[in-house]
Amino acid sequence: MSDDCHAEQGTPLPKVEASAGTRSFALLGRPNSGKSSLYNTITGGDAHVGNFPGITVDVLEAELALSGGAKARIFDLPGTYSVRAAVDPETDEGVARRFVTEKLDGEGFAVVQVIDGTQLALGLRLTREIADAGWPLYVLVTQSDLLASDGKKIDEARLEEELGVPLALVSARDKGSRERVSALLSTREARPANKDFDPATLAREVTSSARAGDAASGKAFTQRLDAKLLHPVLGPIAFVLIMGALFSAVFLVADPATAASDALLGFARKWVSTTLGEGLVSSLLVDGVLGGAGTVLVFMPQIVLLSVALDLLEASGYLARGAFLADRSLRFLGLSGRAFLPLLMGHACAIPAIASTRIIRDPKERLTAILVLPLMTCSARLPTYALLLSTFFSGKGPLFRAGMFLGLYAFGVVTGLLASRILRRTATKGKSLPLVLEMPRYRMPEARVVLRKAGRTAKRFLRDVGTTIVIVSTVLWALLKVPAPEAMRAAGADTAIERSVGASIGHAVEPLTKPAGFDWRIDVGLIGSFGAREVMVGTMGVIFGIEDVGDDTTPLAEKLREAKKADGTPLYGVPNALALLVFFVIACQCMSTVAAIRRETKSLKWPAFVVAYTYTVAYVLAVIVFQVARALGA
Amino acid sequence: MASAAASTASDGTEPTLASTAIGVRVTVTRLALEPADAAWLTAVGIGEGEALTVLRRAPFGGPLHVVTSLDAELAIGEALARGIVVGAAP
Repeated sequence: MSDDCHAEQGTPLPKVEASAGTRSFALLGRPNSGKSSLYNTITGGDAHVGNFPGITVDVLEAELALSGGAKARIFDLPGTYSVRAAVDPETDEGVARRFVTEKLDGEGFAVVQVIDGTQLALGLRLTREIADAGWPLYVLVTQSDLLASDGKKIDEARLEEELGVPLALVSARDKGSRERVSALLSTREARPANKDFDPATLAREVTSSARAGDAASGKAFTQRLDAKLLHPVLGPIAFVLIMGALFSAVFLVADPATAASDALLGFARKWVSTTLGEGLVSSLLVDGVLGGAGTVLVFMPQIVLLSVALDLLEASGYLARGAFLADRSLRFLGLSGRAFLPLLMGHACAIPAIASTRIIRDPKERLTAILVLPLMTCSARLPTYALLLSTFFSGKGPLFRAGMFLGLYAFGVVTGLLASRILRRTATKGKSLPLVLEMPRYRMPEARVVLRKAGRTAKRFLRDVGTTIVIVSTVLWALLKVPAPEAMRAAGADTAIERSVGASIGHAVEPLTKPAGFDWRIDVGLIGSFGAREVMVGTMGVIFGIEDVGDDTTPLAEKLREAKKADGTPLYGVPNALALLVFFVIACQCMSTVAAIRRETKSLKWPAFVVAYTYTVAYVLAVIVFQVARALGA
Repeated sequence: MASAAASTASDGTEPTLASTAIGVRVTVTRLALEPADAAWLTAVGIGEGEALTVLRRAPFGGPLHVVTSLDAELAIGEALARGIVVGAAP
C-alpha cells in the first residue's frame, strides 16, 4: 500500500509522548476477533481511554510489562476489516489506519494483529494487506479455546513460517496468555510479513480437524439458538422481551442505588448546613456544588447499568442479532438496527443513551442518533408533566390524563422521527456505510471484562461530564440565589427569588416568551430546569411560596390554578399548560445531556446545535399551540 | 438518505443476493457497487468468486443473514444485497 493511500483528511492524531527507548504496540484486528478481550487479559485490565482529540472512537492505552522488566505502551485500536479500502477517516477503519501510519514515524513501534482462529482465512486477508503496507508485525491467533471446542487445531509453527512474522496461539480466557504475549513481544523482533500467500489456501493448510464435528460445539449451539432468536415470529417477540427486561432493569435496579446516593448526599448537605449555618456560602455549597454532585450521582447507576447491559449484549453475541431484527424498522428514519438500543434507552435517560451510541459504526448515523436522543421522553420530564396535567386537566378524569401522558411520549417519538429524517437530509447528510454486521457465535460474557469496562465508563463520566454538571449547577445556583442589583429588579420584588438575577432575566425575556404563554415565573422555572428538568416543579413551588414541594404537588397545583393577574383573570389556563408541555417535550433542558453530547462528539458545535435547534423548535411550537388553543377557547 | 448501493445497483436483469431464496448457495459474480464499497465489502469477506448461502431474512424486508464459504456469518442490508450480483454456485 502506498503512503498516498494514508494521506487522507481528518484531524491529525497527536504524537504520543514516549520516553526514549519505550516500545509501543497497536492491537489491530477485525471486529469481533476477540481483540478487546485479549487486550484486557494482557494488560490486566488497567487500560484507560487515550486522549486523542479529533476522534470520537475510543483508542485504549495501557502500560505493558515486558519480560525482563522493560515497559511498553500498548493501544487497542477499533476493529477494522481493511487497511487498504478507502473509507471515511472518521470510521473505525479510518481511525485505526491514521493511528498506525502516524505512529510508524516513531521508533520501536509495531502492529500486533489479532486473528480469530475460527475465522483464520478472513484474518489472513487483513494480514495480506498489512504485509503489502510493509508494517512491522506480530500475529496473535486467539480463540484457541473455541477452536479446541470445534475439534480443530492450527499448526502454529507452520503458520509462523509461512507468514514470516513472530506468532503465538492464545486465548483471552487463559491467564497464561499474558506471559506468552509478553515473552513474544520481548524476545522477538517484529518484521513485515511475507506477501506471497493466499489467505484461504494457507488457512486450509494449517488447520486440521483433530476429531469429527461435535454436535455440542459452540457453532452448533449458535445455529440452534439462532433458529429461535432469529425466527420470523419468535425472534421479534424475544427481542421485545429482552429489550423490555433491559429497559426495566435500568429503571428498577438503578432506583434503589439512586435513592442511596440521594441519602448519602442528604447527609453531606445537612452537615454543611449545620456546620456553616445559613447564608450564601452555605447555600452555594449545599444547593450549587452538592446539588450538581447529586445530579451526577443520580445518573451514575444508570450509566453503569447500561454499560453492563450493552457489554453483556455485545459479548454474548446478541447485539448483532438485535440490530439484524430491528434494522428494517429504523431504516425509514435514516438509522440502522444498531440505533435501536440507544433510542430505547433514551426513554430512561439520555445521558447513558448518548454514551451507548458508540455501538453505531456509521459516524453520520451515530451523530444523528446523538442529536435526536434529547427528544425522547426521559423520566426527568415526568414530574412537570404530572404537575401540569393534574393542575389543568383535573376535571377530565384519569383516563384522559393517561391518554395525555401517552400522547406526550408519542409526540417525543414522532418529533425524533421527523428530526432524524430532516437531519439526514441536512446537518448529517452524506453517504451511509454499507450495512454489514458480523454475526458472532453466542458466548458467555466474562464478568471481569464487563465490570472493568463499566468501571472505566463511570470514571470517564465523572471526569468528562461530572465536572461540567457541577460547574453549570453552580452558575444556575448563582442565577437563582444571588440578588440582582437594585436597578435590575422588577418593582415589588419582595421574596428572595423575585430579587434574584434569574428573576431579572425572567422579566427581561418575558416579552419574548409571552406569545407562548410564559410569564417571568415560568421563565425562571425554565432557567432553573436547565440544570435538571425535575427542578422545574421545585422552582415553581418556591416562586409560589411553597418551600418544599416534595412528592405531593396538590398545594402547588391549587396555587397555580388560583393565581390571578392584576385584572382578576386566571394567571394560567389550559393554553399555557399545553404550550409549556410542548416546550418541555422538545427543548433540550438538560445540562447533563449537553455535556454528554460534548463528550461524545468532542466538539462544542454539536451541543450548541442541539440547544439551538430544540429551543427554536420548542419555542415556535409553543407559540403556535398557545395561540391556537387560546383562539379555540381552550 | 444515500444508500450505499442505490447508485450502482444492478439494473434488475441479473440475479442479486437480494433475490436469492433462503437455503440456496450462490457465487458472487460481480459487485455492482461504488469502487470504495466494493473494495471494503471484499475485505469484509464478500468478494467476487465468494460462495454464499442465505440462511434467513429479517422480518419486513430487513437484512439477509448469510454464511460465506469461509464460514463467516454476516448480516447484509437489503440495499447492499441488491448490488451483489450472483450466479449459480459450482
